[in-house]
This record gives sequence, structure tokens and C-alpha cells, in this order.
Amino acid sequence: MMLQLLEKIKSILEYLGGVSEDLPLESLRWMRGPLWWGTWWAVLILSIVAFSGQSSKFIYIDF
Amino acid sequence: MIFNTFAYYLLFLFPAALAFRFAPASLRPWTCALFGAGFFLFFSLTAVGGVPGAFCLAIFVWESIFSRLYQKGSWLCWIGVAQSIAFLVAFKYWNFFTGLYFGAAAQNPVYWKGAFLPLGISFFTFEFIHYAVDRYEGKTEAGSAAEYLSFILYFPTMVAGPIKRYQDFLPKVRNPSKDTLENWRIGCTRILTGLAKKFCVADVMTAFTNHLNKADILTAQRWVLPLWLLAYGMKIYFDFSGYSDIAIGSARLFGIRVPENFDWPYFQVNIAEFWRHWHISLTRWLIDYVFIPLGGSRVANSRIWANLMVTMLVSGVWHGAGLNFVVWGAWHGALLVVHRIWIQLRGPAPPDRGFIRLAASWAGTFLWVNLGWAFFSMDLSTALLFFRRLVGG
Repeated sequence: MMLQLLEKIKSILEYLGGVSEDLPLESLRWMRGPLWWGTWWAVLILSIVAFSGQSSKFIYIDF
Repeated sequence: MIFNTFAYYLLFLFPAALAFRFAPASLRPWTCALFGAGFFLFFSLTAVGGVPGAFCLAIFVWESIFSRLYQKGSWLCWIGVAQSIAFLVAFKYWNFFTGLYFGAAAQNPVYWKGAFLPLGISFFTFEFIHYAVDRYEGKTEAGSAAEYLSFILYFPTMVAGPIKRYQDFLPKVRNPSKDTLENWRIGCTRILTGLAKKFCVADVMTAFTNHLNKADILTAQRWVLPLWLLAYGMKIYFDFSGYSDIAIGSARLFGIRVPENFDWPYFQVNIAEFWRHWHISLTRWLIDYVFIPLGGSRVANSRIWANLMVTMLVSGVWHGAGLNFVVWGAWHGALLVVHRIWIQLRGPAPPDRGFIRLAASWAGTFLWVNLGWAFFSMDLSTALLFFRRLVGG
């Protein structure tokens, strides 16, 4: 039960992150349209802007 | 740096992806190579290495010429491997190895004061070696000089991977995905996710990880030490997986899929699984070009354990020129050996083990991996001080 829930959360996060292209649940069909993606990108961009300004180097750049 | 600059997107990624998409097939490899060369020069001059770093573009030119000599079974392939390792050793480990012999910089007569790392050398060395070995074994076709240049100068993955394979990359340059709208939707989502991981999580953790130094460790209350180390574990994951997301998303704008690098590593239930899900392209490279040539797991037990140790020591030394990285590699090698012995004694874990056993396996793996970050994030004496304070108070 717990593992199934974790699997569902994982597949939703992968879909949101662009890792997976398959919609994880049929009930989330509304996540397919351009309106959804526009909103999601806006949320990501706003988060990035909100936290920018403290940026440090990527760790693996110096490797 | 680089992936979080406007220059990367406006000067390189978007123009290159569009040029690649609309260029005739014969010019696609040249598009990758020319933008890659521009990327290398620009970011060498503005971010890493300066003018001497920019001159290191000559390494790519030389590699593209020399690699044309590779044939199946030819000893020239091994010369290629040796020169790739020599470049890496000269730039990355000169002061480390000579320092082991002569001592500190002041006593070292051959100390290289102006030492610098050419952009992406640790990663493009892997791709050079892979190509030379696979050409020797006849596992990949030569491709044209332009195609090989497009492979080694492919800038989305040049600096820090994911580490590509030529036989996987070549068909994608020849026939990239034509579903431009879908590729850009997914690519941009991936890039934004990577940037969010970097800015919103990894950089926030820096406030905690900055304390991983001798002065703060000596004066801190004991209970905060594991929290600082945990913060480092989160920082390095979100930083590097975010970086990989941006690289993979960037490649997607070209219609090219490059290998994945992370697959929920912190949710794995043993150390072997952790390494199959952490920096996947490096793990696969180490398996194919270090572990298997040493004999892999088709030899006696003691040899397998030695092979695991050597492979992880190579991984440790590759991560940095310092004794702490050697210990970090040995730490993971030892964990893999213990895991192997455990499996041999107890047999593989049953797939239907209960939630409690699964949670315990996960907790153990998570704990050991995160303790290991102490050697990755601090020099050896600081890491040992950290453990002394953690255990002894």
C-alpha cells in the first residue's frame, strides 16, 4: 500500500520533471494541455527567480 | 556557472539547437562541432582556465586527427588511451602526485604554480578512452571526422556529462528526432526542473554545508554535525542531478536523447543498487572500462573484491586530486565488498520482503552513503575531526 503510493508519487514527479513522457494516471489528463504546461513553467520560473542571487558553482564543473 | 548563465542559453543553446534542426543532414555534425568549439572558447575565457584554457581546444583538434588512425586491433588505439590519460594526469594530478613525493608546494621543485583544468577534461577524457577502446575491439564504426568532432565537442554534455557512447550518439546525430514541438516542451521542462533543483534546493543547502570546516566543527554542538552532513548529501544530489537534467534537456532541444544520470539513488535499498542509480553514466563507464577488463565478477571471490576496490579507488581519484577522495573511493569499495559477501552468505534478498525489512535496508544504505560524503566534502584531516566529534563528542 505504502510502496504503491510512493510509486505513484514518483511517477507524477517524473512526469512533472520531464523525465517521463507518459501520463502517470488517467485521472490527470488535464496535465496534458498547453494551459497546464504554461502554468507549470510559470511556477518553475517564479521559483527560480525567487531563489536566484545566491547562486554558487555547480559542484561537478571543477572535476 | 555556465548552465545558470544567460550566455549559455542565448549565445549557444537556442541558436545551436535551431541551427541543428534546420541544417541539411550533411551539415548537422559541423553545427555541433562549431558551436561546441565556440562554447569551449567562450567559457574557457570567461569561466574556467582563461587564455591557456582556451588553447586547450587544441586537445580536441589533435584527438580528432589522431583518432582517424584507429583500426580494429591496432596498437594506435592504446596510444590514444595513453595520451588521453596523460592529458588528464598532467592537468589534474601533476601537483598531487609530485606533492606525494616532494611534499608541500614550498618544497616541491616541480610544483606547477599556474595549474588549471581545461573545461570538462575529466569528462571528455572518458569519451576519448571509450572511443579508442571500442574502435580497438571493433564495437563501433569510425564515422567521419566531423561526426567524431560533433561527439567530443557536443557542448550540452561536454563539461560534466552525462558520459555518452559514440555508437549510441552517432545515429541520433544522423537522424535526430523530428518532433520539434514535443522535444522543446520536454527539453524546456527538464531544463527548468534542473534549474529549480539547483537554485531552490542545492544552493539553499549551502547555508548549512558552509559549516563543514575545522573551526565550526570544533565549536558546534554535536547534534548539528549529522544535519550538516545530510545537507551536503542533499546538496550534491540536487546540484548534480539538476545539472544532468539541464544537460539532458538541452540535448533534447536538438532532438537528441543522451543517457540518464540519476534514478532516485537515495531510495535504493543496498549499495550496489545505489551505484546503479547514482551518476549512472560514470558507473557504466567504470564497469565497462575498469571493472570488466580487470576480470569483473567471473573470477575468484578474492579477485572480485579486489576488482571492486580498484574500480572504486579509480572513481575516488577521478573525483579529485586529494587523499580524501582516495578514502571516499575506498569507503565505497569496502561497502560494495561487504555487500557482496553478505549476498554470498545470505543469498539475494527475496522480492517480497516486508516493508520493515525494506525500510531497514534503505535506512542502512542511506546512512552509509551519507557518512561517506564526509570524505568527499572535506579534506582528510577535517573529515577525521568530524568523525571524532560525531562519535566522541
